[in-house]
Amino acid sequence: MKPAYFEYVRAESAEHAVQTLASAGGDGKVIAGGQSLMPMMNFRLVKPSVLVDINRIPGLDAVQIRGDKLVLGALVRHRMTATDALIAEHIPVLHHAMKHVAHLTVRNRGTFCGSVCHADPAAEMPMMSLLLNGVVRIVSPRGARALAAQEFFVGSLVTALEPDELVTEIEIDKLLPDTGWGFEEFARRHGDYALAAVAVTMRWREGLASNVRIGMMGVGEMPMRAPQIEAMLEGREINSTTIREAIDALRAELEPNSDLNASADYRRHLAGVLARRAITDAWARAEKGAAA
Amino acid sequence: MSAFDSSSVEMRPKMVGQRIKRTEDPRLLAGVGRYVDDISPQGTLHVAIRRSDQPHARIRGIHVGEAFTVPGVVAIFDATDIEGDFKPAVPTSKMKNYYATPIWPLARGKVRYVGEPVVAVVAESRYAAEDALEHISIDYEPLPFAIRQIDAVADDAPLLHEEAGSNVIISREFKRGDVDKAIAEAPVTVKGVFRMTRKTAVAMENRSYLAEWDKRRLALTLHSSTNIPGVIRDVLSSCFDLPGNRMRVVAPDVGGSFGGKGSLYSEEMLVCVLARKLGKPIKYITDRLEDLSSTSQAFDELMDVELAVDRDGKLLGLRADVIGDIGAYSIYPWTGALEPVQVVSFLPGPYRLEHYRGRIRGVLTPKPPTGPYRGVGRPSSTFAMERLIDMAARKIGMDPVEMRRRNLITADEFPYRTASGIIWDKSAFQECLQGACDHVDYPALVRERDKARKEGRWVGIGLSSYAELTGIGSRISVAPGMPINTGTETSSIRIDATGAITAAFGISSHGQGLETTLAQVIADELGCKMEDVEVQHGDSALVPMSTGTFASRSAVLGGGAATLASRVVKTKVLKAAAYLMNQPVEELEAAGGIIRSRASNVSMTFKEVANAVYSQMGSIPHEQREDLVASETYDPYLGTACSSTHLAMVEIDPETYGVTVRRYVVAEDCGRIINPMIVDGQVQGAVAQGIGAALLEEIVYDDQGQFVTASLADYLVPVATNVPQIGIVHIEADLPNNIGGFRGMGEGGTIGAPAAIANAVSDALSPLGIEVDTLPVTPERIFRMIEAARVKSTAD
Amino acid sequence: MNERTEITVSVNGLSYTRRIEPRMLLTDFLRHELGLTGTHVGCEHGVCGACTVLLDGRSARSCLMLAVQTDGADIETVEGQGTVENLGRIQQAFRDHHGLQCGFCTPGFVMTIADMLRHHNLDNDEEIREALSGNICRCTGYEHIVNAVRELAKERGALK
Repeated sequence: MKPAYFEYVRAESAEHAVQTLASAGGDGKVIAGGQSLMPMMNFRLVKPSVLVDINRIPGLDAVQIRGDKLVLGALVRHRMTATDALIAEHIPVLHHAMKHVAHLTVRNRGTFCGSVCHADPAAEMPMMSLLLNGVVRIVSPRGARALAAQEFFVGSLVTALEPDELVTEIEIDKLLPDTGWGFEEFARRHGDYALAAVAVTMRWREGLASNVRIGMMGVGEMPMRAPQIEAMLEGREINSTTIREAIDALRAELEPNSDLNASADYRRHLAGVLARRAITDAWARAEKGAAA
Repeated sequence: MSAFDSSSVEMRPKMVGQRIKRTEDPRLLAGVGRYVDDISPQGTLHVAIRRSDQPHARIRGIHVGEAFTVPGVVAIFDATDIEGDFKPAVPTSKMKNYYATPIWPLARGKVRYVGEPVVAVVAESRYAAEDALEHISIDYEPLPFAIRQIDAVADDAPLLHEEAGSNVIISREFKRGDVDKAIAEAPVTVKGVFRMTRKTAVAMENRSYLAEWDKRRLALTLHSSTNIPGVIRDVLSSCFDLPGNRMRVVAPDVGGSFGGKGSLYSEEMLVCVLARKLGKPIKYITDRLEDLSSTSQAFDELMDVELAVDRDGKLLGLRADVIGDIGAYSIYPWTGALEPVQVVSFLPGPYRLEHYRGRIRGVLTPKPPTGPYRGVGRPSSTFAMERLIDMAARKIGMDPVEMRRRNLITADEFPYRTASGIIWDKSAFQECLQGACDHVDYPALVRERDKARKEGRWVGIGLSSYAELTGIGSRISVAPGMPINTGTETSSIRIDATGAITAAFGISSHGQGLETTLAQVIADELGCKMEDVEVQHGDSALVPMSTGTFASRSAVLGGGAATLASRVVKTKVLKAAAYLMNQPVEELEAAGGIIRSRASNVSMTFKEVANAVYSQMGSIPHEQREDLVASETYDPYLGTACSSTHLAMVEIDPETYGVTVRRYVVAEDCGRIINPMIVDGQVQGAVAQGIGAALLEEIVYDDQGQFVTASLADYLVPVATNVPQIGIVHIEADLPNNIGGFRGMGEGGTIGAPAAIANAVSDALSPLGIEVDTLPVTPERIFRMIEAARVKSTAD
Repeated sequence: MNERTEITVSVNGLSYTRRIEPRMLLTDFLRHELGLTGTHVGCEHGVCGACTVLLDGRSARSCLMLAVQTDGADIETVEGQGTVENLGRIQQAFRDHHGLQCGFCTPGFVMTIADMLRHHNLDNDEEIREALSGNICRCTGYEHIVNAVRELAKERGALK
């Protein structure tokens, strides 16, 4: 399985990259880690006329604090996300999620931003970008813009990026130190695309949950938040009754796909299981966090 | 041929039985192994293949479009372009109502499965060849088809091969006694329809072929990643009308096979045809998508079975109706009977059973042909039988170990003829069961399971006991009248003028370490140093007839032939040494490369003897002088029974339904072990494949006949986190009656594991009244079974 | 389109300069352009790990890289780990523990393990197995490979 011909351009800067994309007339592709793109090119499912390699652009590989956000540049590799001290301190749920992302060799090359741009509904980073109210910063020959993660994902493997646009960084929320978190994923084998995964964060305020966030993947065309369920739990005590209510409501609103690995019914069931476990863990951690 | 006689080998440290590090390893570890794709003669051209995207269709037209404008493209061929250059391969058999589907390099007139080769592009690089493929379009006239075996057997099902008159081209029945009566009168019966789904071997090296036509000698050499080079040589010799000394098939280092590379492939024929036609070396390497969609597949059996027992657990009768999905062609050379017939002939297992009827229909469907895959039929039959045993045990309230103990053949009953006509010569059936139980402390394990259950955990224990025939001789054929002889193996040993020892075989090692194990046997039998022995294999030119390595035969047949040939050479060496040292030959013994006399302190090395025999004129009287060579062929005639009990403990997450194998033990009767490290490696690898079959692996075709599991992200093979540590118990019992006392043991793990895991999962789900009847038992399937049980219990 | 590009890359310490098509995969570059056939092709979609090499000291799937991307980089392949007459430490551990059968996946494992030993926690079998889970072996069932890595990890621990 060999890729088709393309023109290869090693971008020296973001401007260079987007100019090249613009002159490709809609048929150019950006390559960073290549862990998702190259298999598709080898299968000839994707045949760009121009491949813009951004791996040598300086300054895109930083993880830094910007106010109450963390900013991950376009060349921040999964390996870096997994070991970065700022992420471990400020977003432990993301730190923890990294061990489920593919395998160590893939994590050496694959990038956070690249994974978000690939927008696989069964991948962890798109979901995390939603959970953490991500803001995607984009440049093009027309200037710069920012898109909330909610608007960035349009469909399965489809984003709102124009063909001449490049994502240079994604901002995600830092979480307050007493934030509890839970992360549950189920895959057939370690490192496989998940059949479903749920990530939850919340805080404990006088015995009640606050700032409840629920992110999910593998259960629809796109990664998702569960705003109705978040609202259901917000300001309430997390106990077996409230959890039961939340899970029932969650299952009722989900419309997962059926595929080779799992039917919609099983996915719906699984999502409920993972959500219950993640909510329970997040609450327990939040309680502990508040007590500390 | 004499049985293994330990007195014929003097008391000294032996190579056989030791954990000798492998001779193969240094080159493979250093990255200088030589697999087919590593070989690139000058001028090699590369092939890419357009494969059918239709399950069943007439080919109306093939258009190359702009393909020839692609830089680097040399030629494009379809079946009509190569017509007349050769004859097809025909997998003959004497079976009744059988149709031998001819095997051609490219589809002629019709395509019969998604993935069947239709057009070949030859170019300077694989990249260019694939570029050209994109220009080629094919007009198909779709034809009706039945993708599922249950539909393909119907009388009005559309025919894949009209000439056959039916899709059912294999039809056999084994019976003894009166099973209908036994079942009708039995106090207890259990039954089920068990489905082992379709699998594929997924060797890490994809199938790879390189053909070279020598214009000077008019000779063809095919480098093939095959494990049956001799078979390929013989059939291609016939197809191309080339004598065997001008048609050579070489299997260099081969990256695994598990049976998937153990048949003739269209692409092997294709590269040979093109090499001759174009006068250039032609290389074709399957990519992984092509491997998944066109390499032979296996295990796809639908088994409707019923077992009758009495209230003491004694087996009374077994009835089986099996439909085997054999794909779109009867595979060469084994025929489509290979797997399905073994399902019904091995179904009675290692048990005492008088009344049996096992019927099999092998049916054509639009899929790649069914061929050998580790265990061949026995993984499926063991799954069905061992499930029935457990179901019967549960029904009468008997422990499953006790159920087996009461029915496994005991030592005093050997040789035992099963209801299907297989003869178990002798094997440690009972001892393996006991060995597995002792290793885990079965009563304690049961208590552990019960305690876990009380805590709400879904834990289960499952066993499987099975027996198989290995090292099979010429009396037993997988399909009567098939075009090859698998019952013999030849070893040709020579000591040359420098004292170097070369041993040539027809076997074809592809991971089993035969370069090491056969050298161990030779070192012991001949008395030479192991490091002075070079084992040659994997080359049709080495011995007059060879088939290769498959069916757990190489240690028994290769080891047997090596033993015989070594003894002949040793006799010659000792005779020469006796003369040279002026000692009585009875007083001489050879070990570690040195010949010593017990009657005095003189000695000579093998090298010195060889030098004298070959290079010192007059050192031995010319009428006594013999070359230090021998070639012997061994035929064990029958097969050697080999058996094992597997025991698994699994835990199922009661919410996600993920299955984890917590403990796994294999107690096996392995005969005389040549290299314990290698034996353990075979067991572990085979069990891993069995775990894959039980929990992960499934080749899927949808209702449109389209191939769905098209990548390694879809067809899931076990990774390191899926396989537990495996306890291995070697049961030392009576050795079999073949030269060497060896048993073949390469396949056993794959035979026993699916059944053991299916039983363990069923045990874990037994409080819910669920029985596993389909493998792989995936979280999705468990979910469905639980939902069905919930609905049923609400309705009740 | 598809103009040949010149790259200079260091492989196992030796520098190579070649003109190649940009679409040439790193696997094909190593195997056929440089004749280093120890790196194997198992799937060309980044799942099996047989093609793993080290790129600037970190494991990478060479089937998912274009050779042009490695211009100026340092690549290590299995051939750099040791020779037939002088096996490297990881290779020797594989030999001692019978961690290979057909040998096709082995170079990928060796290079992945080189990365694992340099950079990853391997404190117990679970961590070892998880780290190995990106490489498929069809022959061994993994146990002997895990044994080899356990020994290597212990040695590494003792050196610290």
